[in-house]
Amino acid sequence: MTAAFLNRVGRRLLGAVVFGAALGIWEAWARSEPSFLFPPVTAVLERAWQVWPTTDFLTSVAASLERLAAGYALGAGIGIAAGLLMGSLRAARRTLEPLVEFLRAVPPVAIVPAVIVVLGLGNGMRIAVIAFAVCFPVLVNTVEGVRAVAPETRDTAAMLHLGLAETIFRIYLPAALPSIVAGLRVALSIGVIMVVISEFVGASDGIGHYILFQQSQFNVPEMYGGILFLGLLGYVLNRLFLLVEDHLLSWHFRAAGEPTR
Amino acid sequence: MKQANLVGWLFVVLVTGLLEVGVRLFELRDSVPAPSAVLRALAEGVSSGTLSGEVGTTLESYAEGLGLAIAAGIVLGLVIGSSRTLLEASSIVIEFLRPIPAVALIPLAIMVFGLGLPMRRFVIAYAALWPILINTLYGARGADRLLHDVARTSGVTGLGRLVSVTFPAALPSIATGIRVSASLALLVGVTAELVTGTEGIGSYMQRQQLAYQLPELYAAIVVTGFLGYAINVALRRAERHFLFWVGEGRLAR
Repeated sequence: MTAAFLNRVGRRLLGAVVFGAALGIWEAWARSEPSFLFPPVTAVLERAWQVWPTTDFLTSVAASLERLAAGYALGAGIGIAAGLLMGSLRAARRTLEPLVEFLRAVPPVAIVPAVIVVLGLGNGMRIAVIAFAVCFPVLVNTVEGVRAVAPETRDTAAMLHLGLAETIFRIYLPAALPSIVAGLRVALSIGVIMVVISEFVGASDGIGHYILFQQSQFNVPEMYGGILFLGLLGYVLNRLFLLVEDHLLSWHFRAAGEPTR
Repeated sequence: MKQANLVGWLFVVLVTGLLEVGVRLFELRDSVPAPSAVLRALAEGVSSGTLSGEVGTTLESYAEGLGLAIAAGIVLGLVIGSSRTLLEASSIVIEFLRPIPAVALIPLAIMVFGLGLPMRRFVIAYAALWPILINTLYGARGADRLLHDVARTSGVTGLGRLVSVTFPAALPSIATGIRVSASLALLVGVTAELVTGTEGIGSYMQRQQLAYQLPELYAAIVVTGFLGYAINVALRRAERHFLFWVGEGRLAR
């Protein structure tokens, strides 16, 4: 029990105290001056406690997660594949670069109306726009990861007469993995954003639809509950990702001398 | 140092040409407009001022929201980041608010601020605040202790140290945050316009989709893409200009 340790615990507690105080002030303020738009924290939590375990809500969550999983897998797959190709072949990079640079500058929500025209208002549209948004951060990071491979390593591969496929899968992919994973993590939070956006238009389920629907019904505590759930979901997904990352990249962190997180 | 990428641009032309032929051959006009029709709509939209007007509206709320976020993010980040106590005190509040996607706040913001400009200003600022704040925090934390000590022994007081030591040290990190925020803010701004359907390029797209005016819809998408591209390029240029002391390698991305 050194002073430094106590100090550290005290600092940790400080964060919790400030957070609790902020909630307390909100609660007291909302109770003393009842406002339709800012319900007390306890009212929001109470409704969340009632609503979250219902099948209705859980079905919506499942629908959102399904879209996220499908769109994320599709977008990440395309991003990694195209990124490996562009990273390892100069010709492919030169050819695709302007097109990719333009497409990735388009805010992904802008393609939503166009995709609706082609794919309608179903799951296909939602998955497509999620995949579109997820694809680019993964692609860019993959290209960067591959290009950062040391020239000596490239030369060694050439000297050993490794074929293109072998070079990509045995050298570029593992070497670029830390960078790819970093891109995948950015893409995950973008994916969550796109799930919500895609469910704002013409959806009948999903968390995005839930929030918008509760708003249209003026169920304010329910709406806050939906937003809160989304925040928690984003947090949990990020934590899970870090776990997988630690597992997947333990060799890299060890080699780089970084402590495992 | 970077010559024009002829092959790449030829490829863009090739893809556009193939699309034109494909749309005409297979009569896909009902789902995808021919690029020539999009170009015509683009020229018309720009010359008549409809498209440029909507872009102006979008840019107005975008610039205001982003500006607000930059100012608030840098000030908060520097103040919080320069004190361990403040950093710990705010840690859980920040960790709690950060993962909430700003787009999820659009319905709430509509209830509070209505459908107009203040609502968009708010959601854009909220979305853009987090990357800037977090990066400023990191940058301020990473400031060289030695510089601080030198400033302290030279008699530079708290606020002076914040402005003349912590701020410049955090600048590269702040710039990264602004770059991330800039594209996020555009995404959230266009989404807010699309959801409310009142004004701006997002609502213009929605109207064109509902009216089934596909060339006009695609022209708006192209314009939005150029807007995003121009913002990226402008920020990268500005970064290189103002942060000339940071290695080129770091800024290349």
